[in-house]
Amino acid sequence: MIQHIDVHAVLRESSSGVYTDLVTRPTGRVVRERISQVMAGAGGDGTGNGPTVARMDFSGVGCMDYSCADEIVAKLLREGVVLLLLWGISDAHREAIEPVLTGHGLAVLHERPDGTLDPLGSPAAAAELLEQLVAQRLAGRLPGGTFALIGS
Amino acid sequence: MTRLVEVPTQFDDRSFDQFAGAFAEATKDGERLLFDAHAAEWASPYGLVALLAAGQAAKRSGVAELPLLTAPTQADVLSYWARAGFFREATQLFEIHGRLPRGKPAEESDVLLPVTPVRAAEDVHEVVSKIQQRASAILASELQLDPRATMGFAMALSEACQNIVEHAGTGGWVAVQSYHWRRTLARRVVVIAVADAGVGFRHSLEPTQAKRFGDRWGDAAALEAALIQGVSRFRDPGRGQGLAGIRRYLARWEGKIAIRSGTARIAIVPSWDDDVPLKDGLPAFPGAQVLIIIPEQGSTAR
Repeated sequence: MIQHIDVHAVLRESSSGVYTDLVTRPTGRVVRERISQVMAGAGGDGTGNGPTVARMDFSGVGCMDYSCADEIVAKLLREGVVLLLLWGISDAHREAIEPVLTGHGLAVLHERPDGTLDPLGSPAAAAELLEQLVAQRLAGRLPGGTFALIGS
Repeated sequence: MTRLVEVPTQFDDRSFDQFAGAFAEATKDGERLLFDAHAAEWASPYGLVALLAAGQAAKRSGVAELPLLTAPTQADVLSYWARAGFFREATQLFEIHGRLPRGKPAEESDVLLPVTPVRAAEDVHEVVSKIQQRASAILASELQLDPRATMGFAMALSEACQNIVEHAGTGGWVAVQSYHWRRTLARRVVVIAVADAGVGFRHSLEPTQAKRFGDRWGDAAALEAALIQGVSRFRDPGRGQGLAGIRRYLARWEGKIAIRSGTARIAIVPSWDDDVPLKDGLPAFPGAQVLIIIPEQGSTAR
């Protein structure tokens, strides 16, 4: 099972509906803590087959700065309990997230609208992520070497 | 007795050291300060936010009365300072002498973000939101920045402002403006200026970095550690992303950053500029002052 997290909705809840941008450490911290609570409430994938796989949907999020990219995406990964698929990210979001992950040997997968998976961050960590998704039968290899989610 | 601090007639990052020297001299004996800007002919956003930082430092120096400020006498200069939002902030820091223009800072101008206070994370949200509404079209049309550069600009601005919130120990100000950069480029630029009179980089980093640098430790070493090595006062491994991110952004768009703190100034100098990378032994000035310049694209090879 892939858990879906609407980051924009979490941001709105966390800021009483005021903010649309993921900027500043304090904002990132609050959003991450809420996401962690949601994940803990869902209780992992329930199968014992590995860490939770979560799809973080960034649709509707405006600007994201490097501090928030670290505070949310990198810290969730450093906590080590989750594999992250990112959905709805813009080029600008990607520019904030990618160097933060690469610098710390971390990776996520950008899920494109057609279901194919685009690695972001450390290539070695991304390869490991893809292996884990394949092992959990959530993703498969396509002809040509790319990966896609199964059933998307 | 009142001590005089002359505001340079052309007040920008280059003339700032002259101002800082006068400020350091005047604050030696704890007398009330008079900032004399009556002859000012021009001030960059850097000059304006730095003048506020000086007022902030003077206000909290223990002198009972607010420092004095004589406003520029030239009508167009006065009008620009008002339009840039300077007086709205200055009235809380100075006893101002001179006739000030009435009305609010202009919304439609080359002032992309008037002088805006930054004290907390909410202020950074406000700044980022405003700059995206006001500046995106201008950045794209006037500076030919592509949309990724525009969004990156908001990210860089956010990180520059967060430096105040996270490290200064006090509030500060930010201003953003586009103008024609005659000095070395002869092109339009957009400039972010951020200043505070807080604890500065050396004090902020001292507990975690001083030992590592040993005898070399000082303002210049602290700036080098923060900007070049990306270290932070926090032990959290993810810290130090802000200035590193700004550097990446500027490298991509041939921009410049200069940070002055205490008695030192460090700069990442692009090919179009003739600044020096590091200066030490400058007149002491409290807090940190940051200058970021993004040139019109097409002006330099990318």
